[in-house]
Amino acid sequence: MIAAAVCLGSRYRGDDAVGPEVADRLRAAGARVLECADDPTRLLDLWDGLETLVVVDAVSTGAPPGTLHRVDAGAGPLPRELRLASTHAVGLADALALGQALGRAPSRVVVLGVEGSRFGMGDALSPVVEAALETLVADALAELGIGCTSGR
Amino acid sequence: MSETREIRTDYLARVEGEGAMLVRVRGGELEEVQFKIFEPPRFFEALLRGRRFTEAPDITARICGICPIAYMASSAQAMERLCGVELTEPVRLLRRLVYCGEWIESHVLHVVMLHLPDFLGYDGAVELARDRRDLVELALRLKKTGNELMRVIGGREVHPVNFRVGGFYRAPTAAELRELVPELEWAREAARELVRIVGALEFPDYERDYVFVALRQPGEYAIERGRIASSTGLDIDVSEYERHFTETHVARSNALHSSLDGVGAYLVGPLARYALNYEELSDEAKAAAEEAGLGQVCRNPFQSIVVRAVETLYAVEEALRIIASYERPSEPAVECAPRAGTGHGCTEAPRGICWHRYALDAEGFILDAKIVPPTAQNQRSIEEDLVGVVRDRLELPDEELAHVCEQAIRNYDPCISCATHFLRFEVIRE
Repeated sequence: MIAAAVCLGSRYRGDDAVGPEVADRLRAAGARVLECADDPTRLLDLWDGLETLVVVDAVSTGAPPGTLHRVDAGAGPLPRELRLASTHAVGLADALALGQALGRAPSRVVVLGVEGSRFGMGDALSPVVEAALETLVADALAELGIGCTSGR
Repeated sequence: MSETREIRTDYLARVEGEGAMLVRVRGGELEEVQFKIFEPPRFFEALLRGRRFTEAPDITARICGICPIAYMASSAQAMERLCGVELTEPVRLLRRLVYCGEWIESHVLHVVMLHLPDFLGYDGAVELARDRRDLVELALRLKKTGNELMRVIGGREVHPVNFRVGGFYRAPTAAELRELVPELEWAREAARELVRIVGALEFPDYERDYVFVALRQPGEYAIERGRIASSTGLDIDVSEYERHFTETHVARSNALHSSLDGVGAYLVGPLARYALNYEELSDEAKAAAEEAGLGQVCRNPFQSIVVRAVETLYAVEEALRIIASYERPSEPAVECAPRAGTGHGCTEAPRGICWHRYALDAEGFILDAKIVPPTAQNQRSIEEDLVGVVRDRLELPDEELAHVCEQAIRNYDPCISCATHFLRFEVIRE
């Protein structure tokens, strides 16, 4: 399986740091993590030839903080109800939609989200999100087809 | 009986940052147009205080992810002028080359992904891509050519890490730059095609007698250096900017409004550069402009999409020209020793002149900073365009009126994030 992860977020905005924190651990475990700090249209090249794309992000759905979400978007659009927040005009969902319109998108997209509770500038990860990190990383590795998944 | 019409766009799409627009019509007469910037203030000028002069390019680069080179080049130029240092010619050309990369990626992103959907009747780039895959693929590849220039010279595509006061940390080898040539040669053909495509669009009938302001540098289409010139005869050193231009705060906007003394609203960006520096364009760019129906001056802001495509072609050609004669400089930078005083810098960001002023103490710590980005300077002009565009089209239903107004705003490729210190849309008919 050709798979890679995209981890979204800012290390300096509380629970939004969960994306970069997971990225660090996935890389350490030998997973391929795509990096795109700017214009998401660049992702079209970065995910060229991928079968599976795993998206990791903090989400805000109103569920209790720390709740893990898993959505298999298949080859369809990302679910809007997860509200993957972007501070920019073009977000990952748009890049994916553009890739799908051009026939240049991964054949399967899985979103792993963790419900965040605080996103203030300079906030640390909340304890409940930090506690969910290990499971989130194990889930991501399993989706990527790397290592064993019994740690859950 | 008076009829009230109120048209609002609460969040303008396909612009960089957050802004809004309001049009108020009372009794069939246009009463008011407001272009609002509500992206929160970012306080860059304040956080520069107390930092070393050498940090200004990397800090100010963060003002924008689309045009970081503009901020890096203007701040570095200000520091170099203050230190009395002139770049060596090969280093100056490298700076111009990386700036060409930024023009290409920024212009192509705006022309095809953000502005073209307006002209072809699509909601956005995704819808355009479903029907016109060829066009969007051409844009993505062309844009990537610009990003590659940024990566090879700047160290990465966004917020380059190889840029410093006095030049660069490392100059690329001639071989590294020559590797880009085949793709740039493809890009030259692609840019020509892009000019033909946008030249064939239908443009709303609207012209205005703008006062154009742009940099001017004899012998070249000014990008990374030059004097500030206007279509009213202004010709000043960048240090004299504040004697002729004033910024005022207006309640509706988190960006300051600029005006040229004795004139008022003025225009910076592609139309201004094209009008003031037409003679400096390459023969090929001139020929492409003519074929696309442009004269030597373009006063229809909706045709700015054509001028951006012409400038993209120019930037590709200029990049090829610089690379062809490139020899790796012996030193990638000139050392700059700080001194107390005030330095000024100004370069042509893709959206227009980006002006900086810094005061330093003798140790090189920044005491005070002022940054005037292009979109702030264009705010008044955007509002005046909207007045003209709306006044001629009051009979249109609100939805169509809103569409042409948004298109008019996107003529400016407004970078709201940069300007804030910006789009919702409202039309109020009373």
